[in-house]
Amino acid sequence: MGDRKENATMISRIKDTAGHALGSGCDREVARILVEFLEVAITSIVFLKGVYPSGAFERRRYKNLVVHRARHPQLSHYIHSAVSGLLPYIEKGLVERVAVIFSDENNVPVERFIFKLAVNPSYGSKVDDADLEFALRSFLIKLPASGSLTEVVSRDCRWEITAYFRGLPETGSSKDVASLWIPTDTKQWQQPPLITPIKSMSSEPLSLQLYLEHPSLSEPTNP
Amino acid sequence: MSFNSLTRSGNSADTSKRSRGNSAASNSSNNSQSSGDGGQRSKKKKVNQKTLGVAWGANSRSSSRSSFRSSPFSDFGSYMVVKNRKLQDQFEAEAASSSHGGSNTLKPIFHGVSIFVDGFTIPSSQELRGYMLKYGGRFENYFSRHHVTHIICSNLPDSKVKNLRSFSGGLPVVKPQWIMDSVAANKLLSWVPYELNQVANNQPKLSSFFALKNALVSKDALGNQTSNVDDIAESSLDCGILKEEKFIKEVETIEERMQSDERFEDESNERFEDESRDDVIKNVSVNCCAEPLVSCGTEPTVTKAEQKTIFGEELQESPDDPCTSASSHHVNSTNMRESSNLAFRRQSPKSHSTLGDPNFVENYFKFSRLHFIGTWRNRYRKRYPSTPDGVMSTSSKDKASEDPEKTFVIHIDMDCFFVSVVIRDLPELQDKPVAICHSDNPKGTAEISSANYPARDYGVKAGMFVKNAKALCPHLAILPYNFEAYEEAVSCDEAFLDVTDSEVDDPELLATEIRKEIYETTRCTASAGIAGNMLMARLATRTAKPNGQCYISFERVDDYLHDLPIKALPGIGHVLEDKLKQRNIRTCGQLRMISKESLQRDFGVKTGEMLWNYSRGADNRVVGTIQESKSIGAEVNWGVRFRDLKDGYGVQGRKFTLKIKKRRKDAEEPAKYMGCGDCENFSHTVTVPVATDDVDVLHRITTQLFGSFHVDVKEIRGVGLQVSKLSADATKQVNERNLLKTWLTSRRESNINSDPKERTHIGLQGRTSDGSSIQLTGDSAANLIETNWCPAISEAHSNQSLEPPPLCHLDLGVIESLPPEILSELNEAYGGKLATLISESYGKSEEIGNDETGQCSTAEGSLSSDVGPSNKVQTYNEMEQPQLPIEGNVPMAVPSSSNLESSRPSIGNTDFMPSSLSQVDPLVLQQLPKELIDGIVQLLPAHRECDISAADLTLCKNMPEDQIVMRSTENLDSVVMDGGLWIGNPPNWIAEFGASKSSILNMLADLYIRSGPTGNLSVVLQHCISEVSEYTDSEFDGVDDTIHCLSELLKQYIKQKIESDIEEIYICCRIFKRLSAKSKLFQQVYDVIYPYLQASVNENYGGNLHVD
Repeated sequence: MGDRKENATMISRIKDTAGHALGSGCDREVARILVEFLEVAITSIVFLKGVYPSGAFERRRYKNLVVHRARHPQLSHYIHSAVSGLLPYIEKGLVERVAVIFSDENNVPVERFIFKLAVNPSYGSKVDDADLEFALRSFLIKLPASGSLTEVVSRDCRWEITAYFRGLPETGSSKDVASLWIPTDTKQWQQPPLITPIKSMSSEPLSLQLYLEHPSLSEPTNP
Repeated sequence: MSFNSLTRSGNSADTSKRSRGNSAASNSSNNSQSSGDGGQRSKKKKVNQKTLGVAWGANSRSSSRSSFRSSPFSDFGSYMVVKNRKLQDQFEAEAASSSHGGSNTLKPIFHGVSIFVDGFTIPSSQELRGYMLKYGGRFENYFSRHHVTHIICSNLPDSKVKNLRSFSGGLPVVKPQWIMDSVAANKLLSWVPYELNQVANNQPKLSSFFALKNALVSKDALGNQTSNVDDIAESSLDCGILKEEKFIKEVETIEERMQSDERFEDESNERFEDESRDDVIKNVSVNCCAEPLVSCGTEPTVTKAEQKTIFGEELQESPDDPCTSASSHHVNSTNMRESSNLAFRRQSPKSHSTLGDPNFVENYFKFSRLHFIGTWRNRYRKRYPSTPDGVMSTSSKDKASEDPEKTFVIHIDMDCFFVSVVIRDLPELQDKPVAICHSDNPKGTAEISSANYPARDYGVKAGMFVKNAKALCPHLAILPYNFEAYEEAVSCDEAFLDVTDSEVDDPELLATEIRKEIYETTRCTASAGIAGNMLMARLATRTAKPNGQCYISFERVDDYLHDLPIKALPGIGHVLEDKLKQRNIRTCGQLRMISKESLQRDFGVKTGEMLWNYSRGADNRVVGTIQESKSIGAEVNWGVRFRDLKDGYGVQGRKFTLKIKKRRKDAEEPAKYMGCGDCENFSHTVTVPVATDDVDVLHRITTQLFGSFHVDVKEIRGVGLQVSKLSADATKQVNERNLLKTWLTSRRESNINSDPKERTHIGLQGRTSDGSSIQLTGDSAANLIETNWCPAISEAHSNQSLEPPPLCHLDLGVIESLPPEILSELNEAYGGKLATLISESYGKSEEIGNDETGQCSTAEGSLSSDVGPSNKVQTYNEMEQPQLPIEGNVPMAVPSSSNLESSRPSIGNTDFMPSSLSQVDPLVLQQLPKELIDGIVQLLPAHRECDISAADLTLCKNMPEDQIVMRSTENLDSVVMDGGLWIGNPPNWIAEFGASKSSILNMLADLYIRSGPTGNLSVVLQHCISEVSEYTDSEFDGVDDTIHCLSELLKQYIKQKIESDIEEIYICCRIFKRLSAKSKLFQQVYDVIYPYLQASVNENYGGNLHVD
């Protein structure tokens, strides 16, 4: 009960370009699709939350859907490197959640959009691409329709991508990858948050849920 | 008292207005006062009434979520109008019947009196209502300044006291004792003496405190014993005053000579008040005497009982000392004397650590110099509560700051006080280096607390280890403290005098005289500093020392400060000094160059301002301001060593901070013997909605707090508990004292009573007395009390107090309905087994529940008539008793009707809600988690949001007929229980529900089949919204069963989906909410599943589902 496995969780933020370690275990193809999808979805969230002016994004097509892509090289690079840096860990099934955290100027989180990943590693080699694509597409369609996503946050907020791990990745295997990870300095909430689910999809071997965490009403403001 | 006449809805023995309202509603279904929708309402209630006895087996936890959204009334106001009218009619009817029922001989003494009871009172509002019924008065359930003539309450929260007029509407606020006494006197007494003292002068008087306390105590089972309390308390108070004088004559101190005996006489009452506000840890005042009586009931007199409880063996040496009974400061000094004597014995190689010494904490404080000093001021304030403007007074006139050039403040400081007192009788040491230290152990790891000037010349300083000091000064004489002498010698070792207004023209002359007098009286030297304010006076003293005096005139301030090292300023410690040094600031002159803004920016607003002011010699503090203690806390960081986790500790107040010193991983056993060494400090704070001083609660909270540290007990080097924002509420302070006293003494008790049952017994008694004092104080919101953990509790004791009941004793029905926080806490306590148990025996417990419902209804007769108030009180006590709030039986699993009866009030809690939060026993409330309390608060009619819905629910439970239905659907239950409702395609429930007699279940099954292959419940529910109105509440049979099946369906669905598809659950939840608005049945299902839902979400996602 209440097994958030916090102590086994490495809370980290990516600060640099990803290295690519070859993983084993989970289907690499699914992991790759997932990472690609995460990049699109995270960009969409940032776009929808209005952190940057809409001119900072350009329209692109992804899985036959209109999506947005960051124009500014730094922004696009940050998102890309963050998620692709996760690839080796996703392949190993280490990543439990990927969070897009919007914080106020004091670094206190205001909203946390959590992607909860569950990749079934024992799933057979055959991945029904069409099925998965359908599910992912419906996921992306849901984003702009979600009330909590379209609520614009204040411009002077900070945001970051944070990954929550199931266990600490062994650092020995690849030093440069491990050094990419820095402990997050984002503050934690004192109380359990309120959760608003946004989208859940479950398409074997990948299931993905997006939900929003806001501070609970009893959360002390600006402690 | 007999309440048969009024408890027509027997289960309402618990003063619930709601349940009375309900019975009124059901009576009046043919009453013409109901309008159109009133009629509809009573029809609904009839429907619901069938559920009694069954409903609350399955739904007992449900009502907190209901809202009056489903109310047939157009708005709340109209509902209240009707309800008030009904209550009045009902009251009149009852009054009429009770006067016909043989009690017509009673004089209508309360004619014209209409009372409104606010908050928790003793006797309860229900009893008061009974009196009003019998004696021709009126009782208002809701406050209205047009109908009410008197407000009855025992205590008021601060907010109400402050806004008294808006609260009372100018009506008298009277204690319930007024009614009791009026009844006893058989005439209407004047309410004036009974005016609530918080209101009368915002400060409780001792006399009223005694009266109340006695009234309370006499309620206890120990009635005959306590009948003496009145007299004893009275006489001990008297004798206290006498002894006081005597005592004062006996002891010779300077201050004392300045106090006239006469004044003591006048003020001794006042002093007692002061005492009761005081918060010295070891202080014991007469006020407490009722409490030990309860816990040591066999003691022949209060005096002895008190002494014994408080001081244990050590005071038994002098049990006949007359002064101890009442003069509390004498008690203190005796205590101190004892401790100083003991300080010598302590050098013997006894157990110094928490290990193996059950009296560790007690001793710890006894020998603590800092504790002595810390409590000193309070003791003396008590002793000289309002010293006149005497020459040696520590306080002085409160006056606005006048012309700075004309004010004179003298700061008198005894020269190396601790040493001089000790060596004044040892002339041979007069000029030798001497240091005071509690131990002259050759290891030399004790800290020197004070050294005289010859020793200081060698470089010996306070805080130094003895061995280092000896290295500096080999012939240093180490002497132990002599607390007694300190106390007798002088009240304190420094004092500020504001002599501006004194006739003396030359303050220097005055200072000289004072010093002379001090020396003559105490044979200790003092130094004096004279200046325009406290800061400068203190600095002047520094220059003056030793045995001199220094006058800094206003003109000289700047020069004096210019070269003064910043370190000399009070408030500048190492850290600040270092920071300033980094900026090349070493003297006040340099500090003055920096602007205030810059200082405030770098050091914070307050510190910056302080630095700025001090560097200019400005200090606007007024001499004589005494700060109230803002927190109580105790920390132990010497000798703390634990073997295992079985030691317990307690905290109290609304906010508890538990501080822990943990040995650093690499730290070695520290140099100081049994010292804390290099430690990491942790602190954890928890806030409880209502302040507590119950030891058991404290134990629970602290254990919980401690658990959150996840530290190895062996690594712990210090423990502290802290509570802040203490109020000046006299009675509250008494509580603290009780608590701390219990803390200090409980070990002894527990040692004696190694039998767990005995232990429980004592706990219960303690609660009774605690409870009564809580009642006195009520919920003064700002009260935070901090107390301390006793790490030294013997193992026997800790075993008893901390172990949760065995798993098999837990009732699953209760556990399931616990809020998720408690559940997970419990689960932790059981090492995770609880969760397994719940899931395993889920079905089983439900089955039992259903079996029980049959018996429930057979037992209904007895249920509805005679659950008396006394019974209820008992039950509450039983329910409060365990540290884990869920122990005890619960109706679902109770086999016999008699048990059922007694446990009913606890489970039917929401139905019997008192009218306002202050009427709730805070002891119970504070044990609940925050969410639950919120729920309760919402349900309280005084916080009137959800009144109607709660009333509706109560009605639901009053239905008599449906055990028949229950039986007819038994086989359906068996499938429901299996947990396999969602297995198969189509899932099993389709067939089951399709075959059910319940039209709603049929409909659901039908809709599921029609909605196609998605298999999602949300789709079905979506369709359901359009259909449900047709079914709404048209179903008379098996409502309860339907609710049960539906909630089971949902629970299993949640269980299945929670991990993978929270979105679906969220959708279902929202649809269900919409359904709830349409149908009471769905509302009830929602209420059942909601806690489960949140628990599941919390378990899987670490948060609560946000449902608008």
